[in-house]
Amino acid sequence: MSNLNFAYARDPVLKGVEFTLEKRAIGLLGPNGSGKTTLLRCLLGQVPLASGEVSVLGWDMASKARIARAGLGWMPETGGIIPNMSGVGVVAYMGELSGMPARDAMQRAHEVLHYVGLADERYRMCDKYSQGMKQRLKLAQALVHDPDWLFLDEPTSGLDPRGRVAILELIGDLARNKGMGVILSTHLLADVESVCEEIIVLRDGQLMAQERVDAGNREPRQVFEVEGFGDEEAFRQGLSALGAKVVDDKRLMLVTLDLTKIVGAAHEGGFETSAGVKAILGVAAQNDFALRRVRRRPVTLAEEFYRMVEA
Amino acid sequence: MPIYERGYTNWEPSAGRARPAWWVIAKRGIAEPLKKRWLLVLLLAAWVPAIVKAAMIYVKLKAGDIADLLGGGWTSIDPAGFLAFMDGQRFFVFVLLAIVGAGLIASDRRDNGLSLYFSRPLGLASYVGGKSLIIMFYYFMVTLAPVYALCLFAYVIAPEATGLELLFLTPLRATLYCTLVGASLSLVLLAFSSLGKRSIFVMVWWAIMVMGTETIGAIAEGLGQDSVQAVNFLGQYHNAGTVIFGAEPRLAVNPLVSCLILVAWTVGAILILRKQIRPVEVVS
Repeated sequence: MSNLNFAYARDPVLKGVEFTLEKRAIGLLGPNGSGKTTLLRCLLGQVPLASGEVSVLGWDMASKARIARAGLGWMPETGGIIPNMSGVGVVAYMGELSGMPARDAMQRAHEVLHYVGLADERYRMCDKYSQGMKQRLKLAQALVHDPDWLFLDEPTSGLDPRGRVAILELIGDLARNKGMGVILSTHLLADVESVCEEIIVLRDGQLMAQERVDAGNREPRQVFEVEGFGDEEAFRQGLSALGAKVVDDKRLMLVTLDLTKIVGAAHEGGFETSAGVKAILGVAAQNDFALRRVRRRPVTLAEEFYRMVEA
Repeated sequence: MPIYERGYTNWEPSAGRARPAWWVIAKRGIAEPLKKRWLLVLLLAAWVPAIVKAAMIYVKLKAGDIADLLGGGWTSIDPAGFLAFMDGQRFFVFVLLAIVGAGLIASDRRDNGLSLYFSRPLGLASYVGGKSLIIMFYYFMVTLAPVYALCLFAYVIAPEATGLELLFLTPLRATLYCTLVGASLSLVLLAFSSLGKRSIFVMVWWAIMVMGTETIGAIAEGLGQDSVQAVNFLGQYHNAGTVIFGAEPRLAVNPLVSCLILVAWTVGAILILRKQIRPVEVVS
């Protein structure tokens, strides 16, 4: 996707968005109205672009969207259920519309409904399904033609905690074990954290970040939780000499180390957290400070997200 | 291994042939209403005039012109008689198409179904084509199919009296007429359906379009305002059909003018469909 611009009427929604994605589980994050769903629709070739290019599975979505869509599965947030049909009927119908022979579509519909846990309910009219069942049905119809990429718009919306976990497990299984690319658009950070390897963050239609979920752990500035007893003053001075910033947090010391200043910490693609721990251990040994605890404070996705969005 | 133990498996295509999307949409859309018993009853009721006409034709061909005393135009087996028969079916056309066609796009819009359709490898033409075929099928069921049956019936009971005109030319005329009218009617009805999200409102608009304009046309005729008859929507189809069947126009409107009016309606419908059918609802 390069220099993508899109506007509803004259209201710009996406502004100069540009990225390339590899097949893996990718979280699409952003506040409400940031353009997440529109971005997915651009990837599906459902909306005409103001400018820019979108290429999916090697097909230009401006001219070959129909061909590309044979390899894409779409689970919309709202609606997306065809009334007056049974669950298996909807899924088979969608399979046929995706270019599957009728018999294959029906057989496959049964399989994917088993997979998403709707085997016992497949002959019920889908209008009568509960919200959780509808979400599963929407996932099944997106899977029926065995797509290369799955675009999921708020897949856990309206689900109870158990249903949410179940859907996330299915999505995680598809991405990790079945080799399917997944783009999960959501505002629930925990969903992304539990499933995705990479995140794309949008704000006001602009791409704020595209990085791995654990990218925060590869930042040069890392925070360590330290607890111990002994000559604390000398220990603090030793840390300051290393260029560290120390802040008290109840009985813990939060030590922010700049790993670029630690010899041997930098390596290709990031920084070695253990080098930071070793440096703290060294300072403690030199200053007669007995450590009870030294551990890297993990950077949560929420912290990263708010840092990016509020920047 | 049972399915439920296999988890997710990749699809391995069989040797079967995939059908085009318009066919899939039409097949499902045609089958769906047939599950309703009352709709089957309505379809059967729509064949009652054909059965009556068949009986009249039988009497005419077997008993001579005495049958004309019974039914006048009902016994006619010339092309104009069949056009009149199809025009007489307009009540069933109106009701049946309203039931079958009103929700075809409206319900997809209401349930965000368009987003699902257009996430598949199909375009606007396939979608509209498939939906149109549903309406055309039911239109044919109450117009073209009875005409075929009547022509065949008349030929079978008296081949020497009816000749090839009834076996080939009349069905050919009827096919051409019904295909053009069915396509135009279906596009206009789909355009109405695309303007709303609730079938009931579409039905109301359809009723105004068909019954309302016919009433206005009839009042205008009574008042001697012949030019106002151009608003009679279904009447224009019959009027235009007189060109194909070589019959006398029912309305005081030139058949070619009727053709132009219908072309305008159809083009307007296509423009509305192009504007309204999109996978994304733009909320201002």
